[in-house]
Amino acid sequence: MNLTWTPEERQFREAVRAFAAEKLPEDIRAKVLRHQRLERDDYVRWHNILADQGWGAPNWPVEHGGTGWNALQRLIFEVECFKAGAPRLLPFGLSMIGPVLMKYGSAEQKARLLPRMIRVEDWWCQGYSEPGSGSDLASLKTRAVRDGDDYVVNGQKTWTTLAQYADWMFCLVRTDPDARAQRGISMLLLDMRSPGVTVRPIRTLDGGHDVNEVWLEDVRVPVANLVGEENQGWTYAKYLLGHERTGIAGLGHCHRELGILKDMAARAQSRGRPLLQDSRMRDRISRIEVDIMALEMLLLRVAASNDGTPGPEASVLKIRGSEIQQDLAMLQMEVAGPDAWPYDPDWLVAGNDFHGPGPEMAAAAGAGYADMRKTSIYGGTTEVQKGIIARLVLGV
Amino acid sequence: MDFIYTEEQRMLADSLRRLVDQAWTFPQRRARQAAGTLDRQAWNALAELGVLGLTISQDHGGFGEVPASLLPVHVELGRGLVSEPVIPSAVMGAALADGCGEAARGRWLPAIASGEAIVSVAWQEPGRRYAADPQDCRAAQTAEGWRLDGAKHLVWHGAAADAWFVSARGGDGQTVLLAVPADAAGVRVTDTPTLDGARCARLDFDAVTLSAEALLAEGEAADAALAQALQWGTAALCAHAAGAMDRLLEITVEYLKTRKQFGQPLATFQALQHRLAEMLVAKELALSMAYVAVAALTESDAAQRRRMIASAKLEAARAGRLVAQLAVQLHGGMGMTDELEVGDYFKRLTVVDQLMGDTAEQLAVLEELA
Repeated sequence: MNLTWTPEERQFREAVRAFAAEKLPEDIRAKVLRHQRLERDDYVRWHNILADQGWGAPNWPVEHGGTGWNALQRLIFEVECFKAGAPRLLPFGLSMIGPVLMKYGSAEQKARLLPRMIRVEDWWCQGYSEPGSGSDLASLKTRAVRDGDDYVVNGQKTWTTLAQYADWMFCLVRTDPDARAQRGISMLLLDMRSPGVTVRPIRTLDGGHDVNEVWLEDVRVPVANLVGEENQGWTYAKYLLGHERTGIAGLGHCHRELGILKDMAARAQSRGRPLLQDSRMRDRISRIEVDIMALEMLLLRVAASNDGTPGPEASVLKIRGSEIQQDLAMLQMEVAGPDAWPYDPDWLVAGNDFHGPGPEMAAAAGAGYADMRKTSIYGGTTEVQKGIIARLVLGV
Repeated sequence: MDFIYTEEQRMLADSLRRLVDQAWTFPQRRARQAAGTLDRQAWNALAELGVLGLTISQDHGGFGEVPASLLPVHVELGRGLVSEPVIPSAVMGAALADGCGEAARGRWLPAIASGEAIVSVAWQEPGRRYAADPQDCRAAQTAEGWRLDGAKHLVWHGAAADAWFVSARGGDGQTVLLAVPADAAGVRVTDTPTLDGARCARLDFDAVTLSAEALLAEGEAADAALAQALQWGTAALCAHAAGAMDRLLEITVEYLKTRKQFGQPLATFQALQHRLAEMLVAKELALSMAYVAVAALTESDAAQRRRMIASAKLEAARAGRLVAQLAVQLHGGMGMTDELEVGDYFKRLTVVDQLMGDTAEQLAVLEELA
């Protein structure tokens, strides 16, 4: 047992910090720290800057062009990049389908698709949820029927994050309608430019466009783009969800937003002094700092104990991470106070003149608060996670 | 960073779990509580296992384990709701003596490590909540040594102690730490049971005469030694609380699997499963913060050390209260009776907040450090 950072770990943190300070473009940093909307190019530029450094795939083994970092290094990297104001890494390729292909994909798929994920030469999206299949994912109805060397896919996917930019979708489809729910599912890699694919935006509470509906009508997918074996897709899907859950503890996000919160509270004046010095507000900030410290230590325990391989304890991280991200957004809105009432979506687009009242950050506070309600819903709701804990950890 | 127990820590934790399972059963704990005096056999068993000399240096008869070793040990003691004065004597007393120079170390550490001497730190004064600077308890230097007047209260296992480490205000207003033997003339001891089945004492000192050797430390050194004792005690308490939560969750899961209503085990009801999951989340966070607390003991930045300890204590109190309340709730009416050990865990976890600085106190510390 060694509860302090080793000199190597400290040096690594310093190296990441220095890199982010030097290489993160100022316009991207400003957008992130002001809670303005990011565009496709912002993500792609940052991924390429990382790739130039050899850090394009922080969670991948060296043989696939990754860094080979252990779980602790990955966590340090995440936190330092977020604190610096970097965009989140797109998870769809690096954290989701990438690891699935490494484990279950064909040699041809690995060679063709993995290298293109690192510089976002292919933008991936996740075709899981359907209008009738949210938490109960295994009830999905999108059908794939074999026709010669192709599957013909029909159905509808939803909540497809950033599908408007996507080149490829990894998609769960039903290939055996007669098998029990989980048994007849396969995973296909679907070219988003195929005829029959239609992407429609879903506006969310914050006025943003991150998620989409994707309609699939007689879309032809070559059999070569089947992942692993037919009807084994549920196994691959579960493997992927495990990876997703640790990522969405959102520790880096929490650290960054805490910094923004304190900065806002230091600048907001209330009764003749900064709100940060008000004991009522100070206590609430202290408590959320404790929450983040506990989340971080829990993440470190999980990361260090089994090198980050997520088990059911990932559900604990998901629940807490979601709640803390929501609490931070709520506190930011409270600090913004009256200035969080007016809201013009144009304020969130970089380059547009800011013309709202009150401090600049207040403009985004209401939208941020509304948007963060998603964290306890996506990636398996808090209630689903509690069910997982009860079943798999407590054995009831 | 590395969270895996060392081989020694693993073996000690395993042995301790076996000992606690065998000698700290619910009826045994209740019997000792009813007796109200220290069970020497139980105390010696802890000493023999090395619990009391855990972090005391080998030069002074201890095992010289790193401060982080407090975690595996006190998690086990908390699981077994061990109420013997391990924290007041072997953790706080030892940490205080360790900060008081070689004479104090030589005099006290070997005796604490062997269990021969039980000490308790008398630092709180009536009406002053958690103030660590002595005020009304006064020490005056005399020709022979020291004269002590005033009162201390909430002295953890004060009546079982062979000596108290008393903080008092010296003539120049500085803190004086004095080792007061329990048989000193002029001391009145008022022993009181506590909500969680332990004991505490009020000590009234009336012209107590002490030799010059009673002095442990004075001035800044005394303040630092006392602060160190409180930090070590808080860290051990955080681990103890995490252990108690761990065991209480097990007890509650077991009860819900067994107890049937509406023709099925309570554990099959989703609303109750979710409460169990919330208990587990709280327990994991509290355990994580117990790691933070023991890590603080080797943190060189004093402000950061205080911040870590205060944060861990806040979390232990918050999570402890939640887990305790949910455990009683999930046991239903049975949870309200004095017939199950659930109530004992509930009360121990409840008073975690009361000991060594409550929530308001820790928040004030964090505000001060902000």
